[in-house]
This record gives sequence, structure tokens and C-alpha cells, in this order.
Amino acid sequence: MRPLTLRRLLLQCLLLTVILFLVVVGALKFGAVPVSLYALARDLLRVILGQSSQISSDYGLIIENIRLPRIILGIIVGASLSVAGTSFQALLRNPLADPYVLGVSSGAALGAILGLIAEPHLALPPAFAALLTPLCAFLGATATIAAVYFLGRREGQIDSTTLLLGGVITASFLSALIMFLMTIVTSSNTRGMAFWLMGNLSTSFQKSVYWFLAAGFAVASGIIYTTANDLNLLLAGEKEAMHLGVDVRRVQLVVYIAASFLTGLAVSVSGAVGYVGLIVPHIMRFIFGSDHRTLLPTAALGGAIAVVIADTVARTVVAPNEIAVGAVTAIVGAPLFIYLLRRRLT
Amino acid sequence: MSLRLRSVASTAVVAFFCAAAPLCAQSAPPDSGAAPAFREVVDETGRAVRIPQPVKRIVSLAPSMTETVYALGVQDRLVGDTDFCDYPPDAQTKTKVGGGINPSLEKIASLHPDLVLVTKAFNLPETVHSLEGLGISSYATDPHTVNDIITSTKRVADLLGVPDAGTTVGDDMQRRLNQLQHQLGALPPRQVLFVVWTQPLISVGRSTFIADALLHAGAVSIVDSSQDWPHVSLEEVARLQPEYLVFADSHSETVSAQVDTLATLPAWRILNAVANRRFAVISDAVNRPAPRIVSAIEDLARQLHPEAFADKPSDAKDKEKQTSPGPAKSSRNFAHDMPSQPLETHALAGGCTCAL
Amino acid sequence: MSSPALARNPSEASRLGNEPRLGVEQVSYAYSANPAQAPLFTLEATSFQARPGEIVAVLGPNASGKSTLLQIIAGALPPLSGRVLLNGFVVHSLSPRTRAQRIAMVQQESRLLFPARAWEFVLQGRHAHGRSLRFESSDDVLIAKNALTQVGAAELSDRWMDQISGGEKQRVILARALSQQPLLLLLDEPTLHLDIAAQVGLLDALRRLAAENRYTVVIVTHELNLAAEYADQVVLMQRGRCLRVGPPASIYQRELLEQVFQTPLSVEFSSNGRPRVTVLSGNQP
Repeated sequence: MRPLTLRRLLLQCLLLTVILFLVVVGALKFGAVPVSLYALARDLLRVILGQSSQISSDYGLIIENIRLPRIILGIIVGASLSVAGTSFQALLRNPLADPYVLGVSSGAALGAILGLIAEPHLALPPAFAALLTPLCAFLGATATIAAVYFLGRREGQIDSTTLLLGGVITASFLSALIMFLMTIVTSSNTRGMAFWLMGNLSTSFQKSVYWFLAAGFAVASGIIYTTANDLNLLLAGEKEAMHLGVDVRRVQLVVYIAASFLTGLAVSVSGAVGYVGLIVPHIMRFIFGSDHRTLLPTAALGGAIAVVIADTVARTVVAPNEIAVGAVTAIVGAPLFIYLLRRRLT
Repeated sequence: MSLRLRSVASTAVVAFFCAAAPLCAQSAPPDSGAAPAFREVVDETGRAVRIPQPVKRIVSLAPSMTETVYALGVQDRLVGDTDFCDYPPDAQTKTKVGGGINPSLEKIASLHPDLVLVTKAFNLPETVHSLEGLGISSYATDPHTVNDIITSTKRVADLLGVPDAGTTVGDDMQRRLNQLQHQLGALPPRQVLFVVWTQPLISVGRSTFIADALLHAGAVSIVDSSQDWPHVSLEEVARLQPEYLVFADSHSETVSAQVDTLATLPAWRILNAVANRRFAVISDAVNRPAPRIVSAIEDLARQLHPEAFADKPSDAKDKEKQTSPGPAKSSRNFAHDMPSQPLETHALAGGCTCAL
Repeated sequence: MSSPALARNPSEASRLGNEPRLGVEQVSYAYSANPAQAPLFTLEATSFQARPGEIVAVLGPNASGKSTLLQIIAGALPPLSGRVLLNGFVVHSLSPRTRAQRIAMVQQESRLLFPARAWEFVLQGRHAHGRSLRFESSDDVLIAKNALTQVGAAELSDRWMDQISGGEKQRVILARALSQQPLLLLLDEPTLHLDIAAQVGLLDALRRLAAENRYTVVIVTHELNLAAEYADQVVLMQRGRCLRVGPPASIYQRELLEQVFQTPLSVEFSSNGRPRVTVLSGNQP
């Protein structure tokens, strides 16, 4: 009998953090533009010390303004999707659940497309114009969260089966709408949207956006973490969890909103990066067990690692061109999932 | 009994004719007088096509083909085009058959065309096969360079029975391009990034006619990709530091606002072209492999190399072949060159830090 | 061997002596599948009381409202009328957490989405005690260990839940309920999937635990003989109505049982005073 202790949890997180750090260093080094580790260290130090203006190396600007923000985005998106995926798998008591199963990503995509169509007709100040797509996507996500919540209720409260059904139906309805809009939109718009839909981290944002994303992630995943023990019990069934003292309705509502918010956050800035929210929780469960007090933080770190690696591959494998990071996660994710499935069955 | 047999027989005969009539109507054009003649050609995708002669009714499934038809002066034979065919304005009055990728086959068939014009880039092979199944011939063009466009135009003119118009249009295009070449002289081409989409950054590949058009305009695309619409890494663009960004948009104010927006983003700000607002806007004619592309090329050349045209007033050349006014296009003859912040003085490889 | 850690406030329990701990007062329940239809009464006004250390069997054929009654006693369903009192508190108005500290439910099968070890499973019973987000203390671990020992499943501690037999699983589920340190222990058809040895083992353990730790135990069952053998009190139900409440001797009357269970029976009394029921087939003379 070895119950979970804080010390063991911290050790596991530390291990993954070290791995993440190494992955980030690798991601900073590799890319369309080659960088030496020495120059990298020197410039990073300057960034940390606030002496960015002294960066004069050939590639320092590229690192600071393109590669580093992109890596940070990858970390936030990967962590958000993994935490959301873990939460939905517990909430819906379904190991095949991923962050997109309840339609949030379709809602975000629809919002983004509508924003795209509306943009030429709106006179927006420059700083705000850059935020239009992610904002519209986030609004679309929020609207979908609310709609699926109301659809997913039974007798006034969330019921996991009804929620799943409501979400799946909403997702497919929204996807149909998106397909329709794509056919009536002009061809260059279609190309841009297609890349966005596949999931890509190449979008550049103002600094404040990254802070907002980080804060949003911290708050939402913190809230989910407070229910970690409740989620452990929920896995046995709603009735049993209630008999063991879990306020099932409250936990379901809180986790649903927080996990959907995380998904909306991620999708608004990166499109729908697939397989991360589905597979990373399973891998972490395989290694560390299904206790959510460990699973949630390790899934977050694991997701960050996975997305940063995938994005590094996406932008180096056909350099100087790029492929969408969603393509990389799909190519790696699908076979990996099949492998995990078979291991569990034997 | 015989009465019943008769009624059955007459019903059968009537039914047969009701079924046969539309089939007959489809296969015979409404005003078929003499026995139809055919011409066997190979289109630009390598397909063997049988084209009825003469071609009296044309449907165009691509905006570039519509413009070509007008340029050749045979627009009264154009009986249908797509929703996206907007130039010249008269093209908008033609019967619409839907989009380029998903046109209504029924509508096309109901127009009884002799020939349907398509392009490999804008249309799908499935559409062509379906039309074949209906007994309608299609001819596809697939130009990859500006010279290809000239050749295609002449070939299409020949098919439509107006080879002289084809020669005139094609030769005029060639003449204007040669003139442009002469004016540009030995000026080094500008390193440019042709922007199809900003986020994610999509540009054009080296095998596209757009990339070739850039060459004719005294520019060279910094993107060298075998894909037609490559998703380009911003890092690479930041390393190469193109002198100009080129946008194809009918509204230059939109582009100006777009560049202002880009200037607020860290990844774009470090591009000199963005920081110094060095961009050129040309009409979206550059996206269409049709005679009007030459106007766009000339416009771009003027914006990128104003000094080559300094001694020639802008109205000396009639850039527009069409008499009817085209859609709103950039009225500026020079590149936008208003630095909104002090010039960066980074010594980045391949970058130009001086103002023009 | 009694384990004081498994009983809540044992001194309080003995001080209260034999006051009724559980009071079910005129509890009824109805639900309507269709708003236009009249509601269907699954449970009509039912009352009984139970003391610490007592085992109550809620007995009846299928669809007699037994499980509904149990859910209402557990506080999971609000009664349409009446109330359930536990040491004076109205059960349904307590928070789920407080309820779980006093009432433990043992249901038949536990479907776990992801596999867990037996000790993890039993530790879940400690969730209601303490903050929601916390790491289990050494006390918690001790209580869980004791619970497994009490049900005779200590050697199953490290086994995976999906790799043990039905009877073993039932004991682990009971251990989890015990680790909640409840006052009231509720079991819904606990013997359903067990072989006869496991059934007897379970009920023997329940009787012993109820006596040692002063639990009040309510078992829902349709097993006539098990109820007769182990219950101190029987609540006889048929089609949502409570027909009679009392010790087995007063309930196990042949005509009454035949009417409820719709089958010919014979009732005898064994040497220990407990009734025993034999089912008669149609061909008996």
C-alpha cells in the first residue's frame, strides 16, 4: 500500500519539468534558421535580464520575436488541451473523450470563420484587428459551451450521457455549418482557414495575449485541480461518488466550464490541434496511474512537451516551409493510440 | 380487350416519347442546321478533347477564362459563367452556374454549351468527367508562366474560331511585357514576399504563374518552393528580409490597415518591410491567368521601380484594355513608403536598411 | 477483535444505548414519466425505526420499492412526503459530504473506468473526512487497512480490482464502506452475484461488525432465508407498499409470504427460533 504523497507528486512533476526544459532548449535551437547553443544562451540571458535591445546577433531577433513566443504558445496550448482532455475523460467517464468531443472546437472554428467574413466590413484599429480572429473564435467557443450545457441537462442538472450526446450533435451540426461556409468563401480565404483548422502555432500575437493565456490556463486548471480527488471518485459512477461524499452536480458543472474554457482558449489561438488531449492523458495514466492529483499536473507537462516537440518537427521537417502541427500530432498520435489500446487489452 | 390493348399501347408510346424527348433535346443543340463538325485537340492537361465546330455557345467555369473570352471579343457567345466571374462588369450579367469547384451541372446542361472552358487550378477533374458524361466537351488550360498565358490565350482563340483576335491580344501582351523589360533595363530585381495569407503565412510556389509574373515585374519571390501554395516560415522571411511585401487586393486601404495591424505583432515587426511600411498593392488580376495580368504586372513594376518610369507620365499608357471601368484598384503609382517609426539599423543578412 | 477506529464516537453510541438511531417516518416517493400522466407511486408511506447494532432487512419481490426506499434513506433521493432522521438530523438536508461521513452504501458491482488496486479503492472511503483536495494521512491509511482486515480481505490489498472474484470484490466494497466510519450501513442486494459460501461469509461478517462497531445496518434483499437468519427486524414490501414491520417471527407467516411472493411456501421454525422457508413446487401433494 503506497498512497500518494506530496513528495512523490513533486518529484514526478520535477522530472517532467526537466524534460520540458530540455525540449524547449532543443526547440529553440532547431528551426528554419540554425542557431548555436552559445548564441542562444547569451541572447536568452539578455531577454531575461531585460536587455532585449542589446540583442544584435543575426538570429537573436528571430529567437526572441518568432521562435520563443511560438514555443510559449505551444506549452500553453499543449498543457491546456491535456488538462481539458483528462477532465473530459473523467467527467464523461469515457476514455475516448477528447477536448473537442463537446463541440467547443467547432464553435471556435465557426466563430473564427464568421469573424473572417465580417472583417472587411468592420473598421477596426490595428491593434484590435489582430485580435479579431482569436476573439471571435473564443466567443464561438463560449456560445457553444453554453448551448451544450443547456442541451446536456436532464431535470435541470448535467447528466454525463446527455451531455455527451448533446455535445456530439452540436459538434457535427457546427461542422456542417463550417463546411457550408467554406464553400461560399473565396479561395484564398479557404486556404487560410484550412491551415487554421488543422491546428497551427505560427500565429504571432502581442505580448499581452501570452500573459492572458498563461493566466487563463493557471486559473482554469487550478480550479480543476481542486476537484482532483472528486474526479477520482467520479470514475466509479455518479451515484457511488455521491454516496462517498462528492457533490456531483457542483463538481460536474465546475469541471465542465473550466475544461471547456481551457479548450476554447487553446483553440482560439491555435486552431484544433488534434490527438494531444486524447492521448497524453492515457500515456500519463499508463506511467503514473489514474489518480487525478498526479494525472492533472503530469498531463499538463506531458502535453506541453508533446506539442513543443510536434511543432518543432512541423517547422523543421520541410524547412523553410512548414506543415501544420495538427498534421504531425495526427500522424504520430493515431498509431500511438492504437498501440496503447492493444497494450491495455493484453 | 382490344380497347384495353390499344390504351396500353398508346400509353407506352406516349411514355416512350416523354422519356426520349429530353434525351433528344440534350444531344441536339437548338439550332443545329448542318451536320456538326468536330475538331480533335489535346488540352493543356493532356486530355484528348472533341470540340464541336463552330463553337457558338460557351460556358466558362473560371474567372480567368471569362476574362479571356471578353478579351477576345467573343463575349456574346458566352452563355454562362461562375459566381466568381466579376470582370469585366458585363460578366456579372451572364447566367450564373454556381462556383468553380461545385457548379450546377444541370444548369450548365440547360444552357446547351458547345464548349466549357476550365482551368486546372480553379476547377476539379470530377466536373470535367461529369460534363463528358453528359456529352459536353471541356477544354482545360494550365499555364505556369506568363508566356504560357499568352500561348493559352492564342490557343483558346484558335479553338473559338477567332485566331486573329488571339494573335492581336497575345502579341499586345508580349509587346507590353517587352516594353516593360526594356524600361526596367538592368535594374536589379526587388526581393519580395508575395502574401496570399498572413496568419498562417501562405505565399506562392516557383511553378505558379504568379511567381513568373513577379519576375516580369522586376521582382523575385524570396520563396522557392515546389508546392503551389506553401505555408512559409516567418523565421525564413525574417532571415531573408524581403524589400517589399506584395499584396493582391482590390482595396488598398484594406491592405494598408492590414500592414498596420501586422506592425503591432512581434514576429512581423522585425521585418523591415513591415516596420517601414514597404508594400505594394496590385489588383487581384495577378491571381488570374488572363490578359489582364499584364496590367497588374505593369502596375507592380511601377510601384517597385518608380525611377524606371520617372520620365513617363502615368497617363501616357493605357493600361486597361477594357473600355468599361474595372473594379476599384490601387490608384497609387508608387510603393507605400511611409516609415512610421525610426528605421531599424540591424545588419541582418540580405536586408536593406536604407530608405528608397 | 474490535477496532475502535472503525466506529464513530463509540462512547456516544454506547451512551445513547438503545435509542433509535434511524427513523424512517411516512416516507413515500412517486415519479411521473410523462407530465400529463398521473404520477406512479413507487413507494407509499413507509415507516420504521432501527437502533445501533441492529440489522434490518427490507424484504420483498422485484419492483416492490425496496431500492427506492434505500436510496431515500441514503439521502440520494428526496422523499415526496415524510422524512428520514439519523440521530435527529434530516438526512436529505445534509450536504453530500456530511452524509457520507455517517452513511455508507454498498452496491452490487462497482464499475471502475480505469483499473485500481484494492487499497486505493478502500481509501476512497476516506474522502468524506477532511478537505476535498488532500493527500491521505497516516490515520486514513490505518483505517483503510483495518477495514480490509475486518472483512477478511487483507491479503487482497495489492490486487487489481478487475482481477479478483465477485465475492472478493464485494468484501472490498464493504471494506470501503467501513472505512467511511459510518453510523448507518446500507446494502442493496449484496448477495445477488455471490455463491452460497460467499453469501454466508458476508452476512456473518455484517452481523459481527454490527455488534462490534454498533452500526445500524439496512439490507435490501429478496432472499427469504438470509433475511430470516440474520435480520433483527424485517420490513416486508410489496408493490411499493409496506405490509408489515417486525421481527422475523412475526413476518414469516405462510399466508402473508405466499401472497407477497406469489408462490406456494412452507414455513418452519428452527432450533434457534429463526424461521426457515421452503419453496414448494406445483407438484407437491
